[in-house]
Amino acid sequence: MSLAISALEYISNVKNGNTTAEEFIAKTLDQISKHESKLHAFISINEKALDQARAIDKKIKLKEKIGALYGMPISIKDNISIKDGKTTCASKMLQDYVSPYDATVVSKLKSQDAILIGKVNLDEFAMGVATEFSAFGPSKNPWNTDYVPGGSSGGSAVSVSALECIASLGSDTGGSVRNPASFCSLVGLKPTYGLVSRYGLVSYANSIEQIGPITRKVEDAALLLNYISGRDVNDNTTVDSKNQDYLAEIGSGIQGKKIGVIKEMSKGAGLDENVESAFWRAVNSFEKLGAKIEEVSLDMVEFTVATYYVLTTAEAGSNLSRYDNLRYGYPMDLEGYEFKSYISKARKNFGPEVTRRMILGGFVPSAGFAGKYLLKALKVKNKLKRQVLEAFKKFDFLISPTVPILPFKFGEKIDDPLAMYMADINTVTANLTGVPAISVPFEIHNGLPIGIQIHADSLQEKQLLQAAYALQETTNLPGAPL
Amino acid sequence: MIGLEIHCQLTNLQSKLFCSCKANYREFEPNTNLCPVCIGLPGSLPKLNRKAVEKATMIAMALNCKTPQRLGFFRKNYFYPDSPKNFQITQLNMYGPTSIGEQGNVSIEGKDIRIRRIQLEEDPGRLIYEGASERTQITLVDYNRAGTPLVEIVTEPDLDNPRQVRIFLNILSDLLENLGVSDPTLEGAMRADVNVSIEGGLRVEVKNIGSFHDLEKAIHFELTRQQSLAKRGIPVAQETRHWDDKRKITISSRSKEEDEDYRYILEGDIPWVILDSQSMEKWKNSMPESISSKKERYITKYGIPTQVADVLSSDKYYSDLFEQAHTESNAKEIANMITTDLMGLVDTREKREQSKLRPKHLSDLIEIINNGKVTRSSAKNALQKIVKTGKSVSEIVSQTGLAKISDEGELAKIITEILSQEPTAVQQAKENSQAINYLVGKVMQKTKGTADPALTLRILKEKIST
Amino acid sequence: MIHLVTKEDIEHVAKLMRIDIDNTDEYFERIQKIMNYFDILDKVDIESEEIPVQEVTINELREDEYIPFESKLITNLKNYKGTFVRAPKMN
Repeated sequence: MSLAISALEYISNVKNGNTTAEEFIAKTLDQISKHESKLHAFISINEKALDQARAIDKKIKLKEKIGALYGMPISIKDNISIKDGKTTCASKMLQDYVSPYDATVVSKLKSQDAILIGKVNLDEFAMGVATEFSAFGPSKNPWNTDYVPGGSSGGSAVSVSALECIASLGSDTGGSVRNPASFCSLVGLKPTYGLVSRYGLVSYANSIEQIGPITRKVEDAALLLNYISGRDVNDNTTVDSKNQDYLAEIGSGIQGKKIGVIKEMSKGAGLDENVESAFWRAVNSFEKLGAKIEEVSLDMVEFTVATYYVLTTAEAGSNLSRYDNLRYGYPMDLEGYEFKSYISKARKNFGPEVTRRMILGGFVPSAGFAGKYLLKALKVKNKLKRQVLEAFKKFDFLISPTVPILPFKFGEKIDDPLAMYMADINTVTANLTGVPAISVPFEIHNGLPIGIQIHADSLQEKQLLQAAYALQETTNLPGAPL
Repeated sequence: MIGLEIHCQLTNLQSKLFCSCKANYREFEPNTNLCPVCIGLPGSLPKLNRKAVEKATMIAMALNCKTPQRLGFFRKNYFYPDSPKNFQITQLNMYGPTSIGEQGNVSIEGKDIRIRRIQLEEDPGRLIYEGASERTQITLVDYNRAGTPLVEIVTEPDLDNPRQVRIFLNILSDLLENLGVSDPTLEGAMRADVNVSIEGGLRVEVKNIGSFHDLEKAIHFELTRQQSLAKRGIPVAQETRHWDDKRKITISSRSKEEDEDYRYILEGDIPWVILDSQSMEKWKNSMPESISSKKERYITKYGIPTQVADVLSSDKYYSDLFEQAHTESNAKEIANMITTDLMGLVDTREKREQSKLRPKHLSDLIEIINNGKVTRSSAKNALQKIVKTGKSVSEIVSQTGLAKISDEGELAKIITEILSQEPTAVQQAKENSQAINYLVGKVMQKTKGTADPALTLRILKEKIST
Repeated sequence: MIHLVTKEDIEHVAKLMRIDIDNTDEYFERIQKIMNYFDILDKVDIESEEIPVQEVTINELREDEYIPFESKLITNLKNYKGTFVRAPKMN
């Protein structure tokens, strides 16, 4: 049995006896040990995965009640808590932290008999676009290991791309699911804010981030969304998913749908010409599928990167305050310090990007600066949201390239934070407005993947996945050259 | 001028403000009333307690505050070991009115004390300092209290002196108890910071005051300190001072500017709560009758004297007893029995908790007094036994011989005996009619209060005059 | 209102955020560049804009119910003495 199958194919193969969970997990673990030294997708591996697979096979054999995922190997970004396992956030600050509870998405997947094969790499506390800021070393892009896999959910994308699992859960604060999906030729979905519970996801910028699936196929993302979405008493920001089946009718097509091409994301100086031409070929594909295409201007997009970084650093500064190394963290003796000097020293273990964002996050809400930065950014966010909602009165979907540039080489942007931040220009709008967006693999240019981004109105994931599926079916892309 | 910031725990709730751990942390060993939320573990999120919103809103209504259309929460960011997240989830009106109440007032002695703002927030954990010297000192933290629902009430600087502060706090404490939201007698359930300023001086805030008793002392100290500075022409600086519990003085905190910059941001994990008018109306209607309304009713409806009505209405325990025990006809007597006979028996929290007295006991007692079965003084004795044992009134009366001695022959026998033992008193009574009361007392003593007082007096008078 | 970020500002904020930093210069240069970029927000007309917030109704809030956590959390914490958590001395 090939590892290069979709989630739906995996389920039917286990169901009809073509393979067993144990066989598939064993092969998956082999694959991981074969590629890890080169790709470094994982931070920790589930040592009990084989036992769990055997238990699931036994249930199948005895015809006992079984969850819908039949032992499917799924990797989890290491900022999502799994009980009794390490949740490091790829930070030295949490290198020894063991979570005593499951994130809601984790307990939901466990209850469907998924096997959580391991915890995967990320930029420290999910801050970055290249997974270069992991305290445990970067992950490599399976398409070309000289190139970054994108971020911050780089480990998620690498593990899915390298067939080290069927699917992965990442988190998307400003594009952290969609960006690595695009860079690794995968599907990445950022759901509507509140559709998926964040309980157990270590907060970076809690008012805009969501957990989302990274998969090889659009239908797999739909399947996972079926199992992870919905209201959660442990997260006051969750909304009712109305028990939608995102997978049913996924092949409905987009005949007659209205699609807006976001002008500010698909033109201009920052856009790579190869990405641009690929994007227009995608527009052409949509047209052939029967959609009506029109350009739409969202002039607030110009201000989204600044808005995003003001809001996220302010929230990050507050969210990361709890890491004072007193209740959990890494070993550091208390003797010889008073409280202030102790925690200031302990917090030196944050990496440079996190430190930078926390200093920014100290500025923007502070007494002298709040009016100039934080308040303005909140209001721009509101204006942007009004503009996007207005556009959705006219259009079913809004599209753009997922990332304005091709995957880049390691070290290329690491010393220029602003250039790095500009890579987020097309993805942050979905986070700032709360609407869902998906990245669909579309072309490979000189061995480097290019993804197309589709936005839909809030809670219109079902439609969104139908559009993504329609686009996917116009392509015939190879897997990563392992 | 004195302003207060009073922190009051909503002790009558079952669970904490943002998680399902127990609100009453007092019964736990250190750090055993915890969950990922209140200890602030990575990935945990606050989940707001609906009842806390309801109870805090009732406080705002009872203090005549305006309530907002939407309730918003904010993060107050500061590093301290008792704060598991290094920020406190609290409220303020940074982006319009979103805290649970504002612009209220409380009337004391005919003066209006304005309430600036009321906010719903979480209590931090508790710090304990250990170590012989400053050098070897370590800090121990118990997070059981972290996340306990707290209502902060901020007044305008409308109080004039420590006495007014005391009256204000008593009124507030009675009000909270009457609302059924808090038991202010529990240790740490009600705390206050104070700001003090004198004419022409700047505002000085005093923190860390452990008890209301010390609060008055701290205000005294600050007023005196500031006045003596003023006399010497030294301006009073605006600052935060700490109350030194051992030396009973205030000390400048020398806190740096950076400690005061709380970098308030929206708490995105808690959406703004729409306080719809239907719910507000429902809560308003379910609020217990206010103390002043009770008092008014006791006076006008039952003719209870003002002082008695005052005591009865301001103490929830007494007024609850009264409400359940009284009828149209016996109200005044029940009120008297509570405020004279019962008061000494249940004057502490422990005594009240242990008391087996039920409202029916009171109405039964009044009934047997009225139909002549026992004397008032016997009833008082019975009350003592009821509080201890909870036995029914009829049981107590029959078992302990408290039934009134109304038999003239029996009583005459007892009186004859006493008169023979008290020749001097008899002589005095013959000369001065007032002195007969001593002998009445002797009879009561002898009969443990069961003698019919009117009959006793008549027999005594007859015997002495003969 | 302060508009230009100084080195002292960076040091002050690093203290406020309780992080020791060794190379103020490097942070200064990069942070100033980013803060300057943030000035782009001055160009937006935001006068009539509200603060965007999510909303819930009262009925969506949690019931007041005591549910103890499934395990003794104290054993997951470090630095403890008895069942107290230890912190450094305060001054």
